[in-house]
Amino acid sequence: MDNEVYTFALKNALNEIRNVCPGITNTFMFREDGEIIVGDENTSQKTMVHVVDAFDGVFEKADAIGGVECITIEGSNGRVNVSWLNDLYFVTVTSRKADMNYVNTVTRVLIPTVLRLLEKICPTPLKSNSPLTETKHQLKIPMDEEFEKPELMEEPVEETVMEEPKETVEAETKHEPLLSEPPVNQLIVENLGGLLVPSDTVRIDSEILSQWEELYEGRKIEEVEIGTFDGKTMRCKVKTIKDSKFEGKGMIQVPEKVQLALEIKKGELVRAKPIIE
Amino acid sequence: MVKKKRSFQEVAAVAEPVTVEETISVNNLRANLDEIKTYDGVVGYILRNSTSAAIDLKDPTKIIDYAIISSSALDAGEELSKLFDLGAVKDIVVEGKGVKVLSLIVGENRISIFLEKDADCEKILKKLQ
Repeated sequence: MDNEVYTFALKNALNEIRNVCPGITNTFMFREDGEIIVGDENTSQKTMVHVVDAFDGVFEKADAIGGVECITIEGSNGRVNVSWLNDLYFVTVTSRKADMNYVNTVTRVLIPTVLRLLEKICPTPLKSNSPLTETKHQLKIPMDEEFEKPELMEEPVEETVMEEPKETVEAETKHEPLLSEPPVNQLIVENLGGLLVPSDTVRIDSEILSQWEELYEGRKIEEVEIGTFDGKTMRCKVKTIKDSKFEGKGMIQVPEKVQLALEIKKGELVRAKPIIE
Repeated sequence: MVKKKRSFQEVAAVAEPVTVEETISVNNLRANLDEIKTYDGVVGYILRNSTSAAIDLKDPTKIIDYAIISSSALDAGEELSKLFDLGAVKDIVVEGKGVKVLSLIVGENRISIFLEKDADCEKILKKLQ
């Protein structure tokens, strides 16, 4: 469940819940083992960690009361509620003015519904950086066709290997007949800015680059093709992410110019595949 | 150290002089808790302040676990109150599958009452607040 699509959908659901219930100030979810799944845009990672840490002692001894189903902290200015929903803990922080009946109705109906829906449409994790060796035996889907059918996102990314346009494939097979099909990774767009940032270079996880290079017998990957779900593609130079806070999260840092050209923005999903020449 | 032996386990370490007012307050609280203990679905309580602690639980094998839950819940309440600006914490309810814990702070006293899941918290809160 730690895939980007799942997280992205949940994050949006949480943001929407906050929009329809103005009394909710923060919402997020975490697993029983304390791993944070996702929070709304108003809730920082630090805050979420702080909350989970605060309940450590309670969860440690939860067996004594048969496991924690719900925790409510009632303050004079607001309330924190932690509810066990679909094998996850769902945290809501509400102000004093919040209509708790409305909040409870929305959260206790919407969240399980969204979770169930995601379970159905996204039953297995969409790991963007899964072992590339798994991609070798997968179904090939022409890129154009796939982009016209976004419902294919439901399939695990590692199971989807896009076929190069015929001409490219033919050109490649002449030189490198034994090369694997380029793997495709689904990544979340993050802004890349700064004075010295080249406008034609994107940044992705070093782990993904290493996997690509490993797949292509140590060849250095210097360029990638980025594809949007509208069918737009662009070839860019690629380097590894420098900022550790974006590492290992299935993100791709994209300069503004490329974002404009592809008509994408931060938080959206794109597909990236290495270009081997 | 406590000399008096009662039906419940009691530990008191008097580190500093306790004012008469505080003593009355604690005694009142304890009396209220003893009455609450007779309510339907109440399985025990823990009362703690800076100088003493009283624990009365039907199942003494769970004293340590319940004490940790009680203390952690109250600490979490204070911490999250600061984090989210919740103001004064009125009460904290931890609901388990079998038991729920109602914790609150009255003056200097940290109280946790352990109840069966379907027991009524409101009546207890009214009694204590």
